[in-house]
Amino acid sequence: MSTLATPETSRPVGLARLSFANRQALSGYLLVLPALLLLLGLVAYPFFFAITISFTDRVVGEAGHWVGLKNFRYLFNQPSFIKTVTNTIVLVVVADIAKLCIGLGLAVLLNQAVPGRGLMRAVVLLPWAMPGFIAFLVWKLLFTPIGGGLNLILTDTGIYTGIIDWLGQKSTALPAVIIATVWRGFPFWAISFLAALQGVPQELYEAAKIDGATAWQRFRHITLPSIRPVILIVTLMSSIWTANSFENVWIMTQGGPSDATMVFPVLAYFGMQTQRLGEAAAVSVAMIPALLILVFFVTWLIKDDD
Amino acid sequence: MESIESRTTLPATFERGWSRARRKPKLRKLGSLVGVYVIMLIVAAIVIFPIYWMFTISLKLPREIYRLPSLVPQAPTLDNYRELIEKKHFLVNIRNSLIVASSVTVVSLLVSSFAAYSIVRFRYRFRGLIGRVILLTYLTPSSLLFIPLSIIVARLHLGNSLFGLIVLYLTFSIPLSTWLLSGYFRSVPPDLEEQAMVDGTSQLGALFRILLPLSLPGLAAVGIFTFTGAWNELLFALIFITSEDKRTVPIGLQYLITGDVLLWGPIMAGAVLAALPVMVLYFLAQRFMVQGVTAGSVKG
Repeated sequence: MSTLATPETSRPVGLARLSFANRQALSGYLLVLPALLLLLGLVAYPFFFAITISFTDRVVGEAGHWVGLKNFRYLFNQPSFIKTVTNTIVLVVVADIAKLCIGLGLAVLLNQAVPGRGLMRAVVLLPWAMPGFIAFLVWKLLFTPIGGGLNLILTDTGIYTGIIDWLGQKSTALPAVIIATVWRGFPFWAISFLAALQGVPQELYEAAKIDGATAWQRFRHITLPSIRPVILIVTLMSSIWTANSFENVWIMTQGGPSDATMVFPVLAYFGMQTQRLGEAAAVSVAMIPALLILVFFVTWLIKDDD
Repeated sequence: MESIESRTTLPATFERGWSRARRKPKLRKLGSLVGVYVIMLIVAAIVIFPIYWMFTISLKLPREIYRLPSLVPQAPTLDNYRELIEKKHFLVNIRNSLIVASSVTVVSLLVSSFAAYSIVRFRYRFRGLIGRVILLTYLTPSSLLFIPLSIIVARLHLGNSLFGLIVLYLTFSIPLSTWLLSGYFRSVPPDLEEQAMVDGTSQLGALFRILLPLSLPGLAAVGIFTFTGAWNELLFALIFITSEDKRTVPIGLQYLITGDVLLWGPIMAGAVLAALPVMVLYFLAQRFMVQGVTAGSVKG
């Protein structure tokens, strides 16, 4: 197959005897080949390569030796790794719940026929249209003790007149990162839910109203079941991204203060800078099992959808 | 592509709802209407304030930022923009980002069109498997890959080059573009292409002369998504670009915040310059998406 340049030039000579179905198949393979080779070479291969590296004591410039589970044993005894695991769980769970509530609430709200709804939808899209790293730069600025907007608002309105170093103290750093992450992420949820809501037949609501169902009952028994698949897919995909997001933590805190906001990608990045690639790879590989479960459900749901 | 809530992962169904809003019976009680507006105002304030703050800080000098903080700039100035461009070589960053993002867009659209065309229109063994592999590569986060990729990139001598960055960005733009384009292609009835092929057009001719022109709104939307995704990427650029003259926009700004003193004025000026083109492009894309994906989602 590799000797044939394109289906067009080769067909008259070599493929004249091939049946239509075989020619079809060959063209199909050739067309998908560039994409497939690139993805196998630069996604699939590195993925498995990462797993093998994590079982070696590889450093930059040296292939290293097989050390079995040593890197993982080392990691699980590291306080910073334990902190990374708990931070990631807190970040994903809290951000997911916040985005679910805000997204669902806004979607229901924007699905009402109120004047000004179109403008509001455009406004809600803004954080999503903004480049992620810019959004987190701006939030880093907002959380700055002096010159940042948040403390200014608090003092101007008289809510709290002290100076809070939001990103500099352990107790507020992770909540601050979560707030910025939710701000950037909720529009996607709202939009997806709104689209799903508009696919729900209006007759269901009218019938329920005639039967005397309250607004909450209509939401609970019509809205929620109708958009359940969308909620599931959005939650799963968003969890994958949030658990692996680098730029929110990197730009705002770089994992600090003292690991209070450390997450997997940032820890792996620091590990790579120490040149000990085996240990750094083990950080990323340690989250593969959790990731696989999420990915399995996503692909299963998407297959179901088709 | 940026990982979180990447704009490019919009389900096709969204556009359907977005474009033609359904009328619901008007809210009866004035009270609940007031409640709706109060919530909307709060949400709008929370969304807009950070963006407003970005603009105002970019117009303020340090004296005004730190010593006399106020919600409205007292003496707006463009000095920050001047400093960013003259002293921080921001135009070089913008040029590099433009080169990378437009190359990724062109190559990605071409390769993904071929792949999507193959998956949608051709019948062969493993077609389903190949489609699945492409979806799986889309779900593989780049934070899992950067350590092995650093070894592979060094082996291929692609480190510290814009070309290397372009190749790496293709790994996340191609799966997404292929996935989205497959949706558009499926919505185009195959009859026209079949007719053209009966008339003697080659399969590639049918793709370029019939299928792609018919999918133009979709191509535009996917193209803009790919462009903004490459424009925004931070992690790979941070790892693989080491010399100053090859820094892209995210890296240029990133280095401004790792210094000892945070020059918020120039940083926010850079943020405005980096965000504006993307946000404008993005709203243009919305229009295309509405036309394009409405057709694309018919397959339901």
